[in-house]
Amino acid sequence: MRAFFRNPFVRRFSLCFLVVELVALMTGPPGSTQAPTAGFRGSFFEASSFYGLFRTQRWVVFFALAIIMFLVWSGWLNKGASIRSTATKALAVPRAVTQRRPVRWSLIGVALIVALLLPRIVNDAFWHSAMTEQIGVFVLLATGLNVVVGFAGLLDLGYVAFYAIGAYTTAWMTGSLPTPAPFHGHFDPFVAIPVAIVIVMVAGILLGAPTLRLRGDYLAIVTLGFGEIVTIFANNLYGITGGSQGSGPIPHPVLHIGPLHYVWSLKPVPYYYLLLVFLVIFLVAFSLLEHSRIGRAWTAIREDEVAAESVGINPLKYKVMAFAIGASTAGFAGVVTASQSNNVFPSSFTLQSSINILVLVIFGGMGSIFGVVVGAIIIQVAYSYLLHTPPQGYQSADLYMYLGALLVVMMIFRPSGLIPSRRRKREIVLSEAGEGHMDEVLTGDTP
Amino acid sequence: MSDLIFNVDNVTLRFGGVVSLNNVSLHQKRGEILAVIGPNGAGKTSLFNSLTGVYQPQEGSISFTDREGKVISIIGKKAHRVASAGVARTFQASRMFSALTTYENVKIGAESHRGIGVIGAMVKGPRTRRGERRSDQRTEELLKFVGLYDKANVISSSLSYGDRRRLEIARGLATDPQVLLLDEPAAGTNPAEKIQLTSLIRKVRDEMGVSILLIEHDMKLVMALAERLYVLNFGSVIAEGSPDAIRSNPVVIEAYLGSSDDESEKSPS
Repeated sequence: MRAFFRNPFVRRFSLCFLVVELVALMTGPPGSTQAPTAGFRGSFFEASSFYGLFRTQRWVVFFALAIIMFLVWSGWLNKGASIRSTATKALAVPRAVTQRRPVRWSLIGVALIVALLLPRIVNDAFWHSAMTEQIGVFVLLATGLNVVVGFAGLLDLGYVAFYAIGAYTTAWMTGSLPTPAPFHGHFDPFVAIPVAIVIVMVAGILLGAPTLRLRGDYLAIVTLGFGEIVTIFANNLYGITGGSQGSGPIPHPVLHIGPLHYVWSLKPVPYYYLLLVFLVIFLVAFSLLEHSRIGRAWTAIREDEVAAESVGINPLKYKVMAFAIGASTAGFAGVVTASQSNNVFPSSFTLQSSINILVLVIFGGMGSIFGVVVGAIIIQVAYSYLLHTPPQGYQSADLYMYLGALLVVMMIFRPSGLIPSRRRKREIVLSEAGEGHMDEVLTGDTP
Repeated sequence: MSDLIFNVDNVTLRFGGVVSLNNVSLHQKRGEILAVIGPNGAGKTSLFNSLTGVYQPQEGSISFTDREGKVISIIGKKAHRVASAGVARTFQASRMFSALTTYENVKIGAESHRGIGVIGAMVKGPRTRRGERRSDQRTEELLKFVGLYDKANVISSSLSYGDRRRLEIARGLATDPQVLLLDEPAAGTNPAEKIQLTSLIRKVRDEMGVSILLIEHDMKLVMALAERLYVLNFGSVIAEGSPDAIRSNPVVIEAYLGSSDDESEKSPS
């Protein structure tokens, strides 16, 4: 019997079968407290159409899926030798001394044109607002968090705090909070953009300077606490932030430079273009930063802090810098969200959203700007699609179940993300081979 | 103006109750190749870590003469400040930035002591570009100097042990140091690489004018390179002198080399 289960074919097939059954359960109808087994029964014995080909029960469909999965897997293994060697190729293939990936201008151009025309291509009210609130804002947030997590290798679980600070700064500047605006003026949200970015960066430095001496897990816990503190402050400082009632109405921005005159309104598309302009600026700045000496110093610190110090790099300074730079995009995103949705509520800045942004970064590929943008778009589009046309029995919390499953699969088969950065990929391959310093031993002494 | 590059005076370093360095005093002249030897656990690496600001000794003083000829104290300074002042080092178990190429490794060293301009880096201003060109130039020079130029684009973790040592030396030299601290450079290298390494270290001193402080177990290499030696045992200096004097010093022979006749060939461990 044991020998039977040792057989690789049997094992592979049982695994496929188990995975598919799990998917069947997850996508099946929900159970209820009255009939706890209804979910199980419904998941397997409910009538279903086999892709419109013939009618059958669900278990037949999923059994067929298990077989297909098994065949694909076997085929993959047969071709495996050539595919698996890409791991060693990642270590061996040298690029020219200038070591820069060739910039694919054509690809960037096409992406830009598509992004510009998108509101025309997808002419739908729901998707217009999703494009702005769900996709645009989150791509921006993920790009910023990528600087902290991907470039500098610092786990930040309270990133949403910077987003909140940006949003509340806007409310404050425009005079929508119980606290009077500075100089008792009612500023335009455009004025709030630089102010919010500066305030958020200062917040990043204030949080970073004392806490970035911590490493790894400790830092994660402190940032998590920071995120919670900001939300709780927003909730409880009734006289300053308006508490859980949120702020008063925040005006829309007005652009008035010479002949240019434009007033934003509730419509999401103009905000989409505003986001796009700033996103492009941030993306260009960050990719230049990645290939500058600052980016290299971040890589050095991430890989071996002691060695980095031995060539004169001050780790604390660079980490604080990463924190502040990463926070800046969140500050800007906060301004846009606040003025577009007209008000700010503390309930929009929860730990859940911090983790969601982190998932976008991990899914796309830590440290890879392109990967993070693509990853964030994919996940946010899927999220919006499920909101727009939910499958039968879908509840909004189900998304996290799917997302969790996706992340588990990703970590097994593509641990460095959808479109990994070359450096990160090498680090993972190396640490699996027992090379490199993922540890934090202080001295050069071998124990 | 002092011609002493390092002046270590009565340094004591403790970890709880364990005394790692006990009243150690030593000095290094500018341009000297100095070696520190001693059996395992004698405190050699602790001494290195104290000299580079990684450990902070409780007693004594360590002064260092920097590029401008100013005498500064090492104790109380952070490791990155000591490095910027002109103390470069290599590690016993080589520590490169293993996911980066050879070239990038050295370049990080070459640009570390320049000021950082975030805005400049983001917009790629003319100053940033000039600095970039200078560190590129320096990197290429150094790679040629240590003989790794043809491996510039290789991922550093795929280098052999001997090449890793040379890479670490190049990275250290890139910071434009006054003194280079080598922690067991010959560990894990083969005899041919050892010979190359010996001539490279001597070349660093002769052509770049960088003083060398060396910890080594390999007696052949030490005796061939060092102009003066200190012997550490149980955290204290037990002898000091020229290689010949050390070789015939009875205290050293007893404490370290053992009492057999072919002591100079013997590798203690």
